[in-house]
Amino acid sequence: MILLYDGSFEGFLSLIYEIYYKKLKPINIYKSLPNEIIFDEIKDIKTDEENYKKVLEAIKTKFAKNILEKILNIFMCDSKDFEMALLEYIVLGFKDAKQLNNINNSCVFYLNSLEKELFKNVHKMYAFIRFEELDDGSLYAKLECKFNVVYFLAKHFIKRFNNQNFIIHDINSKLAFIKIDDNYSLQEVAFFEEPNKSQNEDKFQKLWKSFFTGVTIKERINPKLQTQLVPLIYRTYMTEFFNERT
Amino acid sequence: MKTDIYEKMEILANSAKYDVSCSSSGVETNFKKGEIGATHTSGICHTFTPDGRCVSLLKVLLTNICIYDCAYCINRVSNDIPRAVFSPRELADITINFYKRNYIEGLFLSSGIVKTEDHTMTLMLKALKILRYEYKFNGYIHVKLIPGSSMELVEQIVKLANRVSSNIELPSDKSLKLLAPNKTKEKVLQPLKFARDLSLAKEQKPIGMSTQLIIGATPESDRDILKLSSALYDKALLKRVYYSAYIPVNDNKNLPSIITKPPLLREHRLYQADWLLRFYDFSWDEIVTDEFPNLDEDLDPKAFWALNNLKYFPMEINTASKEELLRIPGIGARGVMKIINARRFKRLTFNDLKKLKISIKKAMYFITCNKEFQRQVPFYRENLRLALIKPEPKKLIQPSLFDTSSITGEL
Repeated sequence: MILLYDGSFEGFLSLIYEIYYKKLKPINIYKSLPNEIIFDEIKDIKTDEENYKKVLEAIKTKFAKNILEKILNIFMCDSKDFEMALLEYIVLGFKDAKQLNNINNSCVFYLNSLEKELFKNVHKMYAFIRFEELDDGSLYAKLECKFNVVYFLAKHFIKRFNNQNFIIHDINSKLAFIKIDDNYSLQEVAFFEEPNKSQNEDKFQKLWKSFFTGVTIKERINPKLQTQLVPLIYRTYMTEFFNERT
Repeated sequence: MKTDIYEKMEILANSAKYDVSCSSSGVETNFKKGEIGATHTSGICHTFTPDGRCVSLLKVLLTNICIYDCAYCINRVSNDIPRAVFSPRELADITINFYKRNYIEGLFLSSGIVKTEDHTMTLMLKALKILRYEYKFNGYIHVKLIPGSSMELVEQIVKLANRVSSNIELPSDKSLKLLAPNKTKEKVLQPLKFARDLSLAKEQKPIGMSTQLIIGATPESDRDILKLSSALYDKALLKRVYYSAYIPVNDNKNLPSIITKPPLLREHRLYQADWLLRFYDFSWDEIVTDEFPNLDEDLDPKAFWALNNLKYFPMEINTASKEELLRIPGIGARGVMKIINARRFKRLTFNDLKKLKISIKKAMYFITCNKEFQRQVPFYRENLRLALIKPEPKKLIQPSLFDTSSITGEL
C-alpha cells in the first residue's frame, strides 16, 4: 500500500494515527504522487486535527524532549524522502524509547545524519548569505538552499540585526521572512521586482572585493581547496564572486 | 598622489594578510535588544579566498606605516612599498557596513607603529570606542596589542575586545635578536601577561589570547616549537598558537633565500600536533622526542606516535576507554563519540564501524573489533609504516594530440 499525505508535520502525525488504528502496512509514503506507474493501492490521508493531537500528545509523554525537536527538524529537510525512516523511528520509539539513542539502528543513524546535514546547511547559510542595503535603509538577502532554512536564519539574524529592518527571501520555497522594528512575519512571495539599492551599496560591495583581493596570499593559491570550502552552488548570491560569472 | 579608499583597503588588507588568526569562536552569544551584532559560539567563516584561507573577520591594519625594521616583515620601515592609513572613524564605518551585509563576524585590528607605541594604540582604541559605544556593536573584535605600549591602554582595549593577541613570531630569543632587533620574547608577551593578570585580579574569565609563530624562517626544530606552545598553553596564557609557514618577502642574509617555497606541509603537521596537545591529551614530549625532534612529513603525528608505541596496540574498541580510543590513528573525537554511543547497545564489529561511517583506512591496523583483526599487514613498525603511506594508484593520463609540447612549446 502507498500512502499520500500533504507533507506537513500535522499531516504526518495524522498518518501515523491511521497506521496504528487501521493497522496499515505502507511500502512507501509520498508527499505527492511520483511520475511513475504504481500498481499498489493508494490511500490519501487527510490531516485531521483530533488525530494528530493525540499522536503529538503520545510523543510528548513517551519521548525525551529533544526527540520531538529532532522530528520537527526533519520536516525542514523537505527535499528528502525521510518518511519511511521516520515512521520506523516513531514505531521504534513507542516500543522502547531508549532505542532512539541506538545509532546501530539504521533509521536512527539515518535521521541523525539527516539532521546533521540540515545543521550543516544552516551553518553554511549563516556564513554565505549576503545582504544588500535598500534605498529605505533596510537589508535584503536572497537565498537558495536544498532545505527549508528560513526559520533558522530568521532566528539567527534577529539577534544580529536587532536594530535593523531586514528581509530574508527564499527563492525556492517562495517564502520571505520580514522584520520591521519589532514585527516579525513570514510571507509567501508570489512574484517580486528587484528592489532599489541604496546609494552606498556599490561602494561597500566594491570595498569588500578590494579586501577579498588584498587579503589573498599569492604564494599559497589553491583553487581546489577554495571550491571545496565554498562550493560553486553557494556562490550565486555572494558579492565577492560576482565578477567571476559572465 | 592621493590613494582612493579602494586602493587603501587593498594595501591595508594586503599588509595584514600574513596574520593567520581569524577565529571568531569561543564567545557565548551576547546579543542585546536594540543593538547590532552578536557572536556565534562556534565562529563563522564567511568566505574563503583563492588561497583557501577562511575570512571571518575584517583583517586590516590601521596603517602599514611602521618605525620598526623587522627583517621578516613586509611592512618594515626600510621597504619601499605603498603606505596608507585609515582614520578610526573610516574603519569603524566600514566594519559596521560590512557586518550589516553579513560579510564578516567583526574586526581584526592590527597596526604598524606610527610615531610611538602609545600613539598607535590610542588610535586603535578610538576605533573600538566608536564601534562599541556609538554604533552599539556587539560583534567580535580581535586586537593585536602593541608590545611596549602603556598598561592603561592595554586595560582599556581588553575591556572592549573579545580577544587580544601579540605575536612572538620567532620561537627563540636568539632568532628574535637576529631578525627583529627591536623585540624580545619578554617584550612581546608582556602585554598578554598583563591582560591575564588583570582578569585574574578581577576573578573574571580571562579574555581569549593568541600568538603566532613563523615556521621555517629560522633553524628551530618542531620540538622547540611544540615545547614553547605547550608551555604557553600550560600557563593558561593562551588559547591558541598559530603557525605560519614563512613566505619570503624580503631579501636578507639571515633569512632563507627569496626563492624558497613556503613549508606548507610542515605547517600542516604542526597544526595537527597542536590539536593533539589541546584536544587529545598528548604532551609535547610524546609527539616529538630527542630521537625524532621533527615531525614526520609522510605521516600525521598521531600515526607517527602510534608506530613508535606499538605496545599499546592493537586496541579492542569495545573495551578501550575514551582516552585510549582518542589515541587511535585516523579516529577523531567525533568517531570516538560514535563508538562510545554505539557500543552501549552491542559489541561492535568492523562492519558496524563501516555502517557508522567511521573511516578505518588508517585505524584498521591498530584495532581489534570484537577480537577480529586485519590480517593483510604484519604487525611490525616497518610494514605498518609502508601500509600507511602507500601512495594511491596513479591515474594514467592519456597524452593528447593537441597538448602543447613541453620541450618546444609548440602545439
